[in-house]
Amino acid sequence: MISFLHYVVRRAFQNIRNNLFPNLTTIGIIGISILIFSTLALISLNASAFLKIWEEKIEVIAYLRKGTPLKEVEGLLEMARQIEGVEGVKYVSPFDAMAFLESKLGDQKNLLHGIWPTVLPPSFEIQLKREYRNSIRIREVVFRLKQFPQFEEIQYGQEWVETFSALAHILWLTQWILGGLFVVGIVFITSNIFRLGLAARHEEVEIMQLVGASPAFIRIPFYLEGLLQGLLGGGLAIFLLYLLHKVFFLHIPLSIQAWLARIPVQFLTPTMTLWILIGGMGLGFFGSLVASMRFLRYN
Amino acid sequence: MIQMNHVFMTYPNQVSALSDITLEISPGEFVFIAGPNGSGKTTLLRILFGAERPSRGEVVVNGMKITERRFNRVHSLRRTMGIVFQDVKLLRDRSVSENIFFALEVTGHSRTEARRKTWEVLSRVGLQERGRDSVLNLSFGEQQRVAIARALINDPPLLLADEPTGNLDAQVTTEVMEIFTSLHKKGTTVLFATRDMDLIQRYPHRVVYLSEGKTVDVGKGIER
Ligand SMILES: Nc1ncnc2c1ncn2[C@@H]1O[C@H](COP(=O)(O)OP(=O)(O)O)[C@@H](O)[C@H]1O
Ligand SMILES: [Mg+2]
Repeated sequence: MISFLHYVVRRAFQNIRNNLFPNLTTIGIIGISILIFSTLALISLNASAFLKIWEEKIEVIAYLRKGTPLKEVEGLLEMARQIEGVEGVKYVSPFDAMAFLESKLGDQKNLLHGIWPTVLPPSFEIQLKREYRNSIRIREVVFRLKQFPQFEEIQYGQEWVETFSALAHILWLTQWILGGLFVVGIVFITSNIFRLGLAARHEEVEIMQLVGASPAFIRIPFYLEGLLQGLLGGGLAIFLLYLLHKVFFLHIPLSIQAWLARIPVQFLTPTMTLWILIGGMGLGFFGSLVASMRFLRYN
Repeated sequence: MIQMNHVFMTYPNQVSALSDITLEISPGEFVFIAGPNGSGKTTLLRILFGAERPSRGEVVVNGMKITERRFNRVHSLRRTMGIVFQDVKLLRDRSVSENIFFALEVTGHSRTEARRKTWEVLSRVGLQERGRDSVLNLSFGEQQRVAIARALINDPPLLLADEPTGNLDAQVTTEVMEIFTSLHKKGTTVLFATRDMDLIQRYPHRVVYLSEGKTVDVGKGIER
């Protein structure tokens, strides 16, 4: 058994060495395809991570009609707190809003000089329970809030939330549709390259069969070769993706970098990396399996 | 050792290559399969080493009933025999010993054993000094001897040879025949296909003469 494994490994490596060009071509094709797939995966991973972070910050701001009496505000606050999905409500008076603006403007706060706080509407800052912080459930809360005539306007950045989650969904779909097409394409292309390699190795296979090599001795090194090519292709893709990821960060303007620093732009997780390598190996294996069906058979 | 009972072979294109061949070959025999081009010699040998299945009839080789519907151990069958062709079927980009070593390795011999055996079979054909030479640097007769050495790796009791001297001149043919003769003397059964009637006349072996896929004459070379 040990010597069989030894044999298989040795033959697979010999085959790769003796057929370097077709092997490199296969590795390159597998690598590029996986690179495209994993780039999409990385983008969609970051998009959904970004969406998550953004969702954390989702809140609803309900502006009160000007001139709503303060005693009514008390009751309104209480009722808003009772709404399903609401975690907390904070009343922001025109003075609070003014103070907030001033802090935002810093040195330039004298721009506000002469502006009387009451021109700003008072508002409620409504924190949502975690499970309500998404574009669908947030609407339930907004719908309830709209029942109160005291609210003049309700803002929750709906366009932004909806566009972004649609985008993330499209990316996710693209990734899997393209991924599916790639799998079929790669198996087709690599099996044909494998087949060319096999044709070149036809004499070896013929001699193996002539002297009575058992089918396992003929096939298994060949499958291992496919597995190795897939592994190397996958590794190449991840390496290139890593470089791309680095280069991307080196070449974006500092201002965007500072902004991005607040949302961690991540590389593929170890689990995803592992799955990509396993996927590459699967592709290589299937390529060699499909190619060998016709060639490696004893008559 | 070999039994063929009423064997027929018709190729998919309706060419009838063998019809009603019945033949028994005992252990230790040297048999010429003679006949002109297209008489069915190659087809007969290919059936014996499991490369073709006859359309009808029964074939038993080295105790294996290879015409059995479920027979799927062609590789086991081939380990009980050595096969030599007119075109030597060597790996031309490798050395003599690499060619032998390759065959040993793929049939499951350990590396140590394969090294020892490579030297052993090469010395049996008188090429123990030529191991490092590239196959390309050998004469055609020497290449055929390498092919015979490779056929001996499993110490087979049976050798099948399909016109192994077809490309060789008289001098080299004699050298190659000497190897077959000495293997035969040590007990190996030999089936030797040839259309060289002069060659057959020089040896006292049994002859099975094929014509258009039928055995038309059976006799002995030198004694006839
Ligand atoms: N693979 C094949 N397909 C169809 N016909 C074949 C095939 N191999 C051989 N034949 C035919 O079978 C007959 C016997 O051929 P073969 O066994 O090669 O004879 P020999 O070796 O004596 O020259 C010939 O008529 C040949 O054309
Ligand atoms: Mg022939």
